[in-house]
Amino acid sequence: MTTAALTAYVLIWPVLVAVVLVVISRGFLREWLEARRNGEDLI
Amino acid sequence: MDGMETAQFSALVIVGLLVFFYGGTFLISTRIGKKEENADGYMTAGNNIGFGISAASMTATWIWASSMYASATSGYTYGISGPIHYGLWGALMILFIYPFGKRIRAVAPKAHTLAEVMYARHGRSSQLMLAGSNIVGSLISLMSNFIAGGVLISLLSPFTFTQGVFAVAAGVLLYTLWSGFRASVLTDFVQVVAMLGAVAVIVPFIFFAADFPAAFETGAGNLTAQQGDFFSSQAFMEQGAPYIAAVLAYAIGNQTIAQRLFAVKESLIKPTFITATVGYGAMVIGVGMLGVLALYLGYEPTGGDLNNIIPGMAAEYLPPVLLALFFIMIVGALSSTADSDLAALSSIVMADVYGQNVAGKEKADPKTMLLVGRITMVVATAVAVAFASLQLNILDLLVFVGALWGALVFPVLASFYWDKVTGRAFTTSVLAALAVFLPVRFGWISVDGFFGIVVDVLSVVGVGVVLGLMAFGFFGVRTAKIVGVVAIVATAPFAIGSLHEYATLCGSLVAYSVSTVICWAMSVRRREGFDFAVIAQRTGDFDDGPEAAAAGTGAGTSDGTDATSAAADDDPQPAGTGTQ
Repeated sequence: MTTAALTAYVLIWPVLVAVVLVVISRGFLREWLEARRNGEDLI
Repeated sequence: MDGMETAQFSALVIVGLLVFFYGGTFLISTRIGKKEENADGYMTAGNNIGFGISAASMTATWIWASSMYASATSGYTYGISGPIHYGLWGALMILFIYPFGKRIRAVAPKAHTLAEVMYARHGRSSQLMLAGSNIVGSLISLMSNFIAGGVLISLLSPFTFTQGVFAVAAGVLLYTLWSGFRASVLTDFVQVVAMLGAVAVIVPFIFFAADFPAAFETGAGNLTAQQGDFFSSQAFMEQGAPYIAAVLAYAIGNQTIAQRLFAVKESLIKPTFITATVGYGAMVIGVGMLGVLALYLGYEPTGGDLNNIIPGMAAEYLPPVLLALFFIMIVGALSSTADSDLAALSSIVMADVYGQNVAGKEKADPKTMLLVGRITMVVATAVAVAFASLQLNILDLLVFVGALWGALVFPVLASFYWDKVTGRAFTTSVLAALAVFLPVRFGWISVDGFFGIVVDVLSVVGVGVVLGLMAFGFFGVRTAKIVGVVAIVATAPFAIGSLHEYATLCGSLVAYSVSTVICWAMSVRRREGFDFAVIAQRTGDFDDGPEAAAAGTGAGTSDGTDATSAAADDDPQPAGTGTQ
């Protein structure tokens, strides 16, 4: 592998982690607001 | 290069971080705590959890401290493909079990444990096999996570290993005890946010702080040809292949996963599992890259212990603030799995021991169930702390439990799809698989001669079973048979005569093949079938109070009806006596 390819190979994972973090956080926030709006428990 | 001796936290800082983490999670758990908890909510949170929490919880539970250490070890040992052969296969297993999860949920929409479903399907012996293996597995996992916490605290602070173990055990018990599974999944969200956020920052920081990408060129000489090869056969045979076989068993047999499967809204199973697949894979592979970087740098872990790679790299290259974030990341990983183990253990004892076997489902008192669940958590924590001090070989114990679950995979899955499988076929096939696994895995019989060929043939069949099961979940039985046969035919010429040299891999594969062949052979000639609708009737709520009714809203079968509304609780009906 070239240096550029190795760099991309190592750093792609933290980027993917950040994407998943956003997806999960957005889902949580949406459900939390909906539960508050409906006066229900989140869990 | 030994960063850990120069970058320790003071006692005050460590106490502050632990109080911040466990105090914070405890406060969060009090937000959902109820004076009168519901027994079913304590086990499955009303089968009605949304996407955000369930995806976070599935990800957090699948990631434990050992996954990060093992992934980095794999990167350090096998080179650039090492983290892939640890993290990718573990991640894909989450994906591969989701079709089975949908089927399990459709058959038993309001169950609490897989063992409880097996009781309804086959009777007591299959239930006890699953429940027993999960009690042992969760205790080992709990102990392993406490050990990881003790080691981390002793490495980065003046505190001893034992003090670290007690601190972690008390912290986890503190926030899980009162609300059980509900507290576990809610705090999982906070913990996974901390873990994912930490990885997103720490890995790039260490990358640049350690002078990469230039170090890829200056350190290339530290890698062997196999370590520098992305398609390393050594990495696949010694790390990837045994792991593929093992994690399928872990995913199917493990109550911590099953519990989340029963808790999430049925319509959200697919997005939850897909998100957890990506989240787990990216995080574990990302942390594993620290092992690859260490290899390029020629880093020598303290005492030659590969578990010190991650703490050592963190201590070497991170400033104090990020080192504190790293500490929280590891404590979050081990705590999220430990609280899941406590919730799993309490559910098994509540539902399978007290609910089904001691009191009986109709007579089970929800308040007594809650008390049983909380006592179970306290006892399990005490046992795990005691075992942690014995310094047992965790890897051997996990391999044993993994094999037990490997032997269970086909009989369990077949029991959800194939009406011919009987309780006797289930029990016999699992026991026979274990009887063959033990001498293969631990080398009790020499594999140089005829027995080696037998092991090879059984292992090749095991390859077909594993790949066939994966294909079956997505594409059905016809494709599964084709994939299984093609896998056997393609593998046989290379494997027969040599595969027995890989004892770990063969141990798992023979567990799959023997249980599959015997379960199939004992079931295929039966004429009578089992009525799967019976399972839904026999695995309903224990707590029928108003809160249970509210919590159960929307948790019925896929067509919106509540399959348990007319539940009857007769003794389980052995397969073959129902109607089809």
